[in-house]
Amino acid sequence: MAKLLDKQRYKCALGAMQTVQAISRAIPILHSGPGCAQKLSDSIGSSGYFSPNIFPCTSINEKDVVFGGVKKLETTIENALKVIDADLFVVLSGCIPEIVGDDTGEVVSRFEDAEKPVIYASTAGFKGNNYKGHEQVIDAIIEQYLEKSDEKEQGLVNIWADVPYQDLFWLGNIRELEKLIAEIGLTPNTIFGYERGIKNIDRIPKAQFNLLVSPWVSVGNMKKMEKKLGIPYLHYPTLPIGAFETSKFLRAVGEFAGIPSENVEKVITEHEKYYYYLIERYADMFLETRVMAKQFSVVADAQYSLGITKFLVNDLGLVPAKQFITDDTPKNFQEQIKAEFANLNYGIKAEVEFETDSYKIHNEIQSHDYHGYPLILGSYYEKEITEKLFGHYLIISWPVQDKVVLDDFYVGYTGGIRLIEDIYSVAVQRWN
Amino acid sequence: MPYKIAAATSDGVNIDRTFGSAEWFTIYEINGENIISAEKRIFRESEKIALENCEKGCGSGCGSGCGNGGQHSEKVDLISDCRCVVCTKIGFPIRKQLEKLAISVFDVNCSVDEALQKITSYYSRIDNHESLRK
Repeated sequence: MAKLLDKQRYKCALGAMQTVQAISRAIPILHSGPGCAQKLSDSIGSSGYFSPNIFPCTSINEKDVVFGGVKKLETTIENALKVIDADLFVVLSGCIPEIVGDDTGEVVSRFEDAEKPVIYASTAGFKGNNYKGHEQVIDAIIEQYLEKSDEKEQGLVNIWADVPYQDLFWLGNIRELEKLIAEIGLTPNTIFGYERGIKNIDRIPKAQFNLLVSPWVSVGNMKKMEKKLGIPYLHYPTLPIGAFETSKFLRAVGEFAGIPSENVEKVITEHEKYYYYLIERYADMFLETRVMAKQFSVVADAQYSLGITKFLVNDLGLVPAKQFITDDTPKNFQEQIKAEFANLNYGIKAEVEFETDSYKIHNEIQSHDYHGYPLILGSYYEKEITEKLFGHYLIISWPVQDKVVLDDFYVGYTGGIRLIEDIYSVAVQRWN
Repeated sequence: MPYKIAAATSDGVNIDRTFGSAEWFTIYEINGENIISAEKRIFRESEKIALENCEKGCGSGCGSGCGNGGQHSEKVDLISDCRCVVCTKIGFPIRKQLEKLAISVFDVNCSVDEALQKITSYYSRIDNHESLRK
């Protein structure tokens, strides 16, 4: 019998059009049916110079299924190059052309000599979700656009973290990571968001190393860059939220980059002093046990599930119930991620489950004894169930309906404080 | 189940007529992927001239644009028992009329043989619930 998936937390691989959109002045050209872009676009900051409603699309139909859609693709690319003022064109193929066997790569190769770079990524829905699609787009940039550079810029670091738009806080997070990296004396280079774009992509090959902050997304990209461009990488699997993890993170980066530890410690000390000053001022609220739930669950992708669980245990001393990872994590990464959940302070281990089916997740939440009302950090799907359980609810993962985030962030020292503010605002609202 | 394909061809070799300019359609009856028979259906001359002379746009009453009260063009009626029609080009209003009758339109430039081979192979796969993956 066919398996039903209730309320999934990701989109198809073509959702990677949002990864392209996050690169300033880059535009996707969709080789897909009409409506794909419409369905895949969220209204969470995706309007602007290029928005999903104007993405060039071959809008293939039954005729193209029978006779092939390559001709239409060629004219669509040709005309997009004529009328759209962009720096990078990324052709993304959807399910239909891939099933019927259109050779997108061959068509795109005809545009090698075009004035602007045209590359292509295979993002058919049946190949995976938009986390995979994101990797495909980065892969396409590495394989088809970047060239190895003999010239290296000492201290230049490419930072890779969240999947744009899929992650609510992608913009703020990457900016904050840049800031932290710069403080310990390195030069950050990122390709997503305001004023980055093609000039930063061009700098990628000159970097001293790649820094990946993610449990599994983009690990393949890092390996590819290491092989093709000769750039080593540091894989830091935990999104650093709050003082404990951020200090650990800065030490790891500093060590990898060969920065004298006293320089790193100086930055850490300064941040920690202010961080704990804030914590101390509110210590009475944290210690008032009636305010906060006794146990919590995070329902999110691996990035947030792991990052927030570590923060809540290590920095706030909360007790984890079961944690849920909803991004369809590839099997070969699951053990590694599980081990991270078992490596919490005070010898605490958090149980974690890789589950994409919300029906099952909600059943588990409902049947678990949280010793009172639970604290649930999840997506909009968790709102109803948390209300039913009279719990505290904070939205942190996709799909997002009831929160607006322009450039807020949870990463770093400041991000940790922001998350505390958000969680405790929810908690104190109950009592007042 | 046998079905019919209407082809706009003047010589029986190439698809070389637009829907509007076709004076006749060759109707191929197909069973599985085999052609069982072919017949020629000639369109009434008078209507053809009327179609050619009529102005495009709303309310002209010739089947193009709004205001024709949902009536079919007689040319559409001529092939209403077909599963699809193959021609080089087709106007939007006529395409809509055909779509309402669940008749697919393939506007392509190729030989009759190629068109029939691709279309029959496509229908055979979807009728037998086979994947279109190549």
